[in-house]
Amino acid sequence: MEITSGNGFGPFEVFLPAHSAAPKYQQHRDGEFPGRLFIVEGIDGSGKSTQLSLLHKWLESKGYGVVFSEWNSSPLVKDTTKFGKKKKMLTAATFSLIHATDFADRTEKSILPLLKAGAVVLCDRYVYTAFARDVARGMDREWVRELYGFAVKPTVAFYFRVPLETAIDRLLDGRNGFKYYEAGMDLELSDDPAESFRLFQGMILKEYEEMVPEFDLTVIDATLPIEVQQAQVRRIAKAHLDQAMNVRVQR
Amino acid sequence: MRQTYGKLLPGMRISDLSGKLIVIEGTDGVGRSTQINLLKPWLEEQGHAVLDTGMTRSPLAGEGIRRAKEGNNLGRVTQSLFYATDFVDRLENEIVPALRSGFIVLTDRYVYSLMARAFVRGMDSKWIRSIYSVALKPDATFYLRLSIDQLVPRVVFSRGFDYWESGMDLYPGRDMYDSFCNYQTALLVEFDRLSEEYKFVVMDASADAEHLFEQLKAGIFNVLEADSRKDFISTRETKTLSISAATGKGKIAPASQSTNPTEFELVLRSIMAHATNGNGKTALHHK
Repeated sequence: MEITSGNGFGPFEVFLPAHSAAPKYQQHRDGEFPGRLFIVEGIDGSGKSTQLSLLHKWLESKGYGVVFSEWNSSPLVKDTTKFGKKKKMLTAATFSLIHATDFADRTEKSILPLLKAGAVVLCDRYVYTAFARDVARGMDREWVRELYGFAVKPTVAFYFRVPLETAIDRLLDGRNGFKYYEAGMDLELSDDPAESFRLFQGMILKEYEEMVPEFDLTVIDATLPIEVQQAQVRRIAKAHLDQAMNVRVQR
Repeated sequence: MRQTYGKLLPGMRISDLSGKLIVIEGTDGVGRSTQINLLKPWLEEQGHAVLDTGMTRSPLAGEGIRRAKEGNNLGRVTQSLFYATDFVDRLENEIVPALRSGFIVLTDRYVYSLMARAFVRGMDSKWIRSIYSVALKPDATFYLRLSIDQLVPRVVFSRGFDYWESGMDLYPGRDMYDSFCNYQTALLVEFDRLSEEYKFVVMDASADAEHLFEQLKAGIFNVLEADSRKDFISTRETKTLSISAATGKGKIAPASQSTNPTEFELVLRSIMAHATNGNGKTALHHK
């Protein structure tokens, strides 16, 4: 880099090389860090959060350092997301980008550093949620996958497979009404929130099913009793923890 | 026909964008906003409706970015994506609708600044380019360029060192002067590279504001001349502008057309007044 000096300022030749400061952005693979990353995916009402919280309890009881990170929870970004949703000002593109921003903050501040430190990191929803929802909203499939290129690949990605009607029955029991974006009302599929929700979840389900082979998701039959599902989840998680005894902390 | 850098956002029609997208780029402190404040009234004087926009001005993410920058915990990937959110919100809700209504959009920085900042922070080139593949290709990008030794006194003696302008998140030097020089030098390297790749019109920003303004007027005039709407602008005005642009001796104040408008201009003004809610201000300008 040639640096001119003509107005009495300088000499500037002493500057350090300009490109040394930033570590190169890189894509992370499983096994790169001592920690373990387990994530759960599935449509609303699949029971994934219940299963993750049971796994959390079990891991803690076994003495692992466990950290939980939820979709859309970055303290830095979530106010903006909330504002955009409240004002209904999010498009498919800005919906996608603001959620990626939230995920980036959690990746940079907690997921990545904690995996490096050897923790077991549990995520309720991960990049696959974005892939399913954003593509259902009309975003380009490749563009969204590239957007999340900075994400760490999970040790195991559990996908809780459930028929649409079962999931909707479970949800309708416990609540009254759906939120605007949750029901995919921005897609203008139907004026009726419940019908819109049904159609939107159907589209998301289709995306999930296509991702099972693409990302080698671990499928759990979410129509089975909770205890049976949890036993499967624990068995699979344990197989990966056995190879990582160094993450065990003393109690 | 207008194009993007590769991908089209869902629901975005770009076949009927009759306006002009004009980008003013450059590192911190080169005088971009000074020039935009001169260009906007000059263009309006000629009967063009103008939308001016710039980084972090989106209703969606502008405030969130400002808040995030107040702390010291905004990561590099997060920062890049927060700015991308801000950009796309303005692209979809301001820039494209304004271009569709035939406005001239003057933008203080564009995706190039965002790319340069991300590259300096070690972000992957393919990743950043993929994100901004949804951006519209502008009609012209004017790159106001200052070398680092010209930049230092301009920024530092006018408003002092700023944490982010000094790249303190990247170059925690012995002091902010060292950081500022390192960071702005690195940015300049990226800008110069982007300038070649994207064919910026490079302008020496060390000239005084009035001289730079004349250069920009000439550059923008070339863009408008390629447009069919040039027929709406009177010959007399056209002549005046090209002469002043060629000699570089024009006055910043608009010529006498405002007090003695031609018939064409009166018609054009009434059209534009309608297009801008009748108050002469751009309907989309939100600041």
